[in-house]
Amino acid sequence: MQKNRLSSVLSTFVVCYVFWLLLTWNFSAQELVMGAVVCLCVAWFASRMFIHEDPTWLFKPQKLLALLAYIPLFLRELWKANVDMAKRCFGGCRSINPGIIKVPVEAKGLYAQAMLANSITLTPGTITMDIVSENGKDYYYIHWIDVTTTDRVKAGEIIKGSLEKGVRRIWE
Amino acid sequence: MILLRLLIGAIIVIGGIFALAGTIGILRMPDTYSRMQASTCISTMGAIGVLLGAALYAALILHAPGTTVKIVVIGLLILTVNPVGAHAIARGAYRNGVRPENGMKIDDLGRDFYE
Repeated sequence: MQKNRLSSVLSTFVVCYVFWLLLTWNFSAQELVMGAVVCLCVAWFASRMFIHEDPTWLFKPQKLLALLAYIPLFLRELWKANVDMAKRCFGGCRSINPGIIKVPVEAKGLYAQAMLANSITLTPGTITMDIVSENGKDYYYIHWIDVTTTDRVKAGEIIKGSLEKGVRRIWE
Repeated sequence: MILLRLLIGAIIVIGGIFALAGTIGILRMPDTYSRMQASTCISTMGAIGVLLGAALYAALILHAPGTTVKIVVIGLLILTVNPVGAHAIARGAYRNGVRPENGMKIDDLGRDFYE
């Protein structure tokens, strides 16, 4: 951690500065210098909380590409789930079949698991309620609006769809 | 130009339809968790539709890149913060003993931790 201190401050600074430029959208010298000073102060304090593993992760081209490729993939899943959910909403309470199911997760690492859990929660019809780790394997408890199968591995494949592959490509 | 405006209007209306579906879902669903599932419709497709329409309007008709970027940042913020809140609410409700009245088809969380 200590030896990465400078690089993590630098990468936090770059992310902060990009946000500053995007939000102000003003390229006069005064704004640029002031932004750099503020971002450097923030990066100095916040890098410890912002970066836990690999400071240069976002600047590796194939990781960045994988992150960009994840967006259309995620939007497609989101659209499918939303159309399905909208039908259920108009259909009323007879069209739902809720349950909480425990599914295995292959993604490793805190960031990957958090991102996958958040993606699952964002798709309508599934909410991640808890993460546990048993004998080196990780499991999500997922509230699922339409339990079509009680087999946990199959249910995991249906819920996670192609999201898990995308997430693993980003973080591994 | 008029076509562009129509397209932007259509995107916003689609977002509105999904928000309406979510609202109706909240009113009609039978238990807490199912209601939360319905509300996810509003915060994903509803918000994305409306914000996408607004971003296109700001970029192509108002020619204001600063506004566009701000709208995109709002969208990203919703997409990153919303699932954290949803997860916390669902987990807190379950821990405080909220259970669906009609029962659930399968309840692994209750089986593993609360019996």
